[in-house]
Amino acid sequence: MSVLAVAIAITLLLILVGLSNGTLNEVSGRIESVDAEIIVRDRHFDLGSMSGGTLWERQADQIMEIEIAGAPAVERVIPVFLGRVKLAGLTQNVFGVCPEDFAYFAGPRRMVDGGLFEDMDAPLEAVEHFTEQARLAEQDRDYRVTPLPLVIDERLANAGGFAVGDHTSYGDTPAVIVGIIETGVAGRVFAPINMLRGVNGIAAQTAHMFFVKATPGLDTGNLQLLAEEIETVTHRAASLVANYGQILSANFRNLTIFVSLVSVIALVICFLFILVTMYTMVLERGREIAILQSLGAARWTILRQTIQESWLLCSLGTVLGILMTYGARWLIQTMQPLMTVEIRPFWIGVAVLIGIGGGAISAMYPGYLALRHDPVEALSFD
Amino acid sequence: MTEALIKTCGLCKTFRNGRLETPVLHDIDLEIGRGEFVAIMGPSGCGKSTLMHIVGLMLSASSGEIFIDGKNAADFSDGQRARVRRDKIGFVFQRFNLLPTISAYKNIAVAERIRGHKVDGQVDRALAAVGMSDKGRFKPGQLSIGQQQRIAIARAISHEPALVLADEPTGNLDSGNAERILELFSEIHRERKVAIMMITHSEAAASVADRVIHMADGRISNA
Repeated sequence: MSVLAVAIAITLLLILVGLSNGTLNEVSGRIESVDAEIIVRDRHFDLGSMSGGTLWERQADQIMEIEIAGAPAVERVIPVFLGRVKLAGLTQNVFGVCPEDFAYFAGPRRMVDGGLFEDMDAPLEAVEHFTEQARLAEQDRDYRVTPLPLVIDERLANAGGFAVGDHTSYGDTPAVIVGIIETGVAGRVFAPINMLRGVNGIAAQTAHMFFVKATPGLDTGNLQLLAEEIETVTHRAASLVANYGQILSANFRNLTIFVSLVSVIALVICFLFILVTMYTMVLERGREIAILQSLGAARWTILRQTIQESWLLCSLGTVLGILMTYGARWLIQTMQPLMTVEIRPFWIGVAVLIGIGGGAISAMYPGYLALRHDPVEALSFD
Repeated sequence: MTEALIKTCGLCKTFRNGRLETPVLHDIDLEIGRGEFVAIMGPSGCGKSTLMHIVGLMLSASSGEIFIDGKNAADFSDGQRARVRRDKIGFVFQRFNLLPTISAYKNIAVAERIRGHKVDGQVDRALAAVGMSDKGRFKPGQLSIGQQQRIAIARAISHEPALVLADEPTGNLDSGNAERILELFSEIHRERKVAIMMITHSEAAASVADRVIHMADGRISNA
């Protein structure tokens, strides 16, 4: 029972930390997989809610004209228009991208099934198309509407049981899954940028983010210069894609504080769990300790035995807790496939330190109690 | 004259709980010789068990002196008190106080290990002395209460102590078992020449002792 209590505490710690860090790292890892070096966004764009100010086409043109050391510094500006859709029970960000830019997001990942979408020529055309379509559909129930084509990643497809050809909806607009790509791409859902703008009633060529592909050969220093130049020219925020994890953490400052607090609370709970477990063990075994004292066991023998048992219990509990963590991760990811529980060696090390080191330290007080135990009272207690 | 194994002079014990003071023993002067079988009788709450625990160095006296083998136990450190308990004293309790999760054999072996003895023949000899050679593998819960008390006695005598302290050893037993346990105490006393201090309410139990000491209100009323 004591071993199980320690194991539960260790599992609690690893799962809470793993779930919090796993989600952040998984998101930043996907963004950092984009084949571009700089990400540009409006200063009021919130990475947490993925909403806020927008960028304009002319800013993309300004970025294209930037030179570093007298040479063009930008190979391509990749606009992303963001939308939202509910799939597999969770709200997903939809990355609206130009079909010709999709390769920057896909990288080496292959299309598992289906293929890429096509787009309309301009957002205005899309707005008119979807507006007209909505009007016709209202008049004639049998009118066959053109759905918004979506490409989703394999993880979302598995989680929601989606296959190519499956129909869903984007708000009131019908949507269809046309392709499934290997997991790891920046967005879980992609749509053609102009059609996504059109569905959202946006006739202008706006975007929420630009990914900037620099000309080959620019080192980190020059990339940093380029980012600063982009900020100067566009008055928007520009950062290195490689630093996205840090930016995300900074944007999610409250979440980071929350994760840290949760980790500390989990550590404290873990420690208290072990302390209470050892304390209960000493209380439960008061008579046994008294018997040993009556047989001539010295106080230090009792203390040594209490700490040894505590170590043994905590070691077994820690090992069991780590195994249970892997079991819990499997269970969570089976029941909620889009959740990521990240079990890092660092945190396993922390858990081992807490479990075994904490066990030894937290055994001190119960051990001290064991020393102060009144053996006469314990032996008389029925 | 042979020196007493146990000698107390003006022994007093007062339990304190905050401001509340409960005097339990007053000026106890007592001697128990080597190999002597002494029964301590008296009504509940008269201080018999407290006296036994002080003699067994499980409790400290509030004042007065207690000599064990001629040495003043008041000067003993905790470690020395533990060593005297380990080497010279064996305890038998009313409720046996066996470790419930291990076998009868191991209950005795644990005591021997605490004493730093290598466990070889002494556990078997102790089991044989109480007529329980065939019960060593059983856990206490698998034994009758009479058998459990025999195992407790075997544990108390396995290291051949100078003194066995028995606190109401027949208090939890029916008359048949009580009689057999008392016979066992007599036999151990006779054959091993071990001093026994037995706390009891029972006249029948006290009758097997060499001497009976009566206590009342924390004092010895006759010696």
